Amino acid sequence: MSEKLPTGIPGLDHMLHGGFIPLRPYIVSGPTGSGKTILCTQFLMEGLRRGEQVLHVTLEEPPNEIRDNMTAFGWDVGGIPVLDATSDIRRFEPTPIMEISSEEEPTPFGMLPPRIRKSPEFEAKEVTIHSLQNLLKVLFSRRPVDRVVIDSMTALRYFCMKDFEAGTATQSFMRFLSESKVTSLLTADVPEGGQLPPETFIARGEVRLHRLRDDTGIKRFISIEKYKGSSHEDIVYPMEIVPGRGIAIHTGGSRD
Amino acid sequence: MDVVSTGIPGLDAMLGGGLVARRPYVVTGPPGSGKTILGMQFLMEGRRNGEDVFHITLDEPPNEIKENMSQFGWDIDDILILDATPDIRAHKKKNVIDVGTSLDVRAMGDVGDIRKSQQIRSLEVSIHSVQKMLKQAARDLQKTSGRNFTRVVLDSMTSLRLFTMGGEDIPILIESFLRFLAEQEVTALIISTPSSRNAIDTEFLVARGEIKLHKWIEANAVRRGISVERFRGAKFDEQIRPMAIGAGGLQVDPVSEVRLRGPMQLAIDQDYLEGRIIEEILLIIDQVLAQMEQADKMGVTTTETSVAITRSMFQFNRKRYSEAMRLALQAKALLEEKLAARWRAGP
Repeated sequence: MSEKLPTGIPGLDHMLHGGFIPLRPYIVSGPTGSGKTILCTQFLMEGLRRGEQVLHVTLEEPPNEIRDNMTAFGWDVGGIPVLDATSDIRRFEPTPIMEISSEEEPTPFGMLPPRIRKSPEFEAKEVTIHSLQNLLKVLFSRRPVDRVVIDSMTALRYFCMKDFEAGTATQSFMRFLSESKVTSLLTADVPEGGQLPPETFIARGEVRLHRLRDDTGIKRFISIEKYKGSSHEDIVYPMEIVPGRGIAIHTGGSRD
Repeated sequence: MDVVSTGIPGLDAMLGGGLVARRPYVVTGPPGSGKTILGMQFLMEGRRNGEDVFHITLDEPPNEIKENMSQFGWDIDDILILDATPDIRAHKKKNVIDVGTSLDVRAMGDVGDIRKSQQIRSLEVSIHSVQKMLKQAARDLQKTSGRNFTRVVLDSMTSLRLFTMGGEDIPILIESFLRFLAEQEVTALIISTPSSRNAIDTEFLVARGEIKLHKWIEANAVRRGISVERFRGAKFDEQIRPMAIGAGGLQVDPVSEVRLRGPMQLAIDQDYLEGRIIEEILLIIDQVLAQMEQADKMGVTTTETSVAITRSMFQFNRKRYSEAMRLALQAKALLEEKLAARWRAGP
């Protein structure tokens, strides 16, 4: 088996006994606001540091806001290419809806305009799982990518698939990622104790983020729910989100 | 990043100044917890700064909102309101028309009695018609004064979802509506209550933050609290703070603490994760205690470990599970290091 890929988070590498097995899809799950996007950004920044090709695909948040948020957090994400796969405002009038075209290009965060992209008046861009998959295929064939983040699978399922195809389309999308030879992190919004979405069953591993209130505030935890082909720690570890540093996991003792 | 005051000083303090401008947020909480008042206070603050604000009501008819708000002595006459409360349904096989532009936008000052349903056709409200009306109002405002809306409140998405939409496209429609608000560059409050514990509703998924109002009974009195559950791109106060509905609207005390005991503990509804973490902490404490016994027999001193494990149990008792877990893991690591050193030293 090839060498494991460090995640950019020392505590998580410790939990995963080294990092992720490369070229496979993994899920980062947890309730909204638990730190999924931050974890994924660290994963991509680690890739950049190692001279790899990385790509952030955003379906939930407009890219300009991600950039502003990460900048406020103390990170320079300017060098990460981002593919804006947020849909335009849907048209109700009988004007043409275009599927997101394969002409679309990722833009480095550093070169984005300051404000949100405005939907054009006449043609609305609609993202479907099929159009996104085609676009990624074109991008990957033009230039191989080592690390991809899809943020989020929940948005992809809610906004870009029909109900009846959710299971099969998710499966085929993840199959596509594996065949494309990329290591991918897919985020999933799952409320604590909520029902698990299909992608968690198909992925080769699942990192889950938790949040719990006590009377000193919101406390965060992280656990590995599954990891195919590797041993791993299976405790729920306390963690914190530290500005500028990112996710800090308390694994105990001197390693902290 | 530009910051927008909520009109509630205590809440602004919790948000580190206010909301990030031009983004949509969710306000949630049980019935009667103060969501509508919060929304109105947010719009009032805008008016005070000379901004143009827009209120969309689906839950309460505008005349009732007006009456209810007068108790705070607020003059809300300048607030534009879209009355999207549904008509009485005509239970005949008559065509229910999709509102289009016959819905009613007016200044609060022009609100009279409750609007009567039309006899012939009743209006059906849909997310599409609400969006269209807002767009129209924004165009009119732009034309007459060259200005744009800066604050929008939708009260509530729960009603819009329950009463007015059918079909499988609900997530897409809601996402598109929130995208529309973001592109209008308004700071929006979407009032909503989650429809299920099992899955995340679209507005909660897409909103850039969540403000939660709490209400519980303690010693025969209604208690209220407020918390920021998440807030993208900015630091925030992670505690639940006491809140009161007083003469000036919502008052938040950003310093005092709410005790998470008894009724409050139940009200925040998080037993599922707790159970699992409790089990794991107890397991680690158990392991450490067993190892300590063994260490004692081997003549290894365990003072540090026992301090850490005692502290862990102390935090555990106070239900501070994160601290308890951190200390238990620390105790475990400490002891393992000691034992390993003992082994290396040989018999």
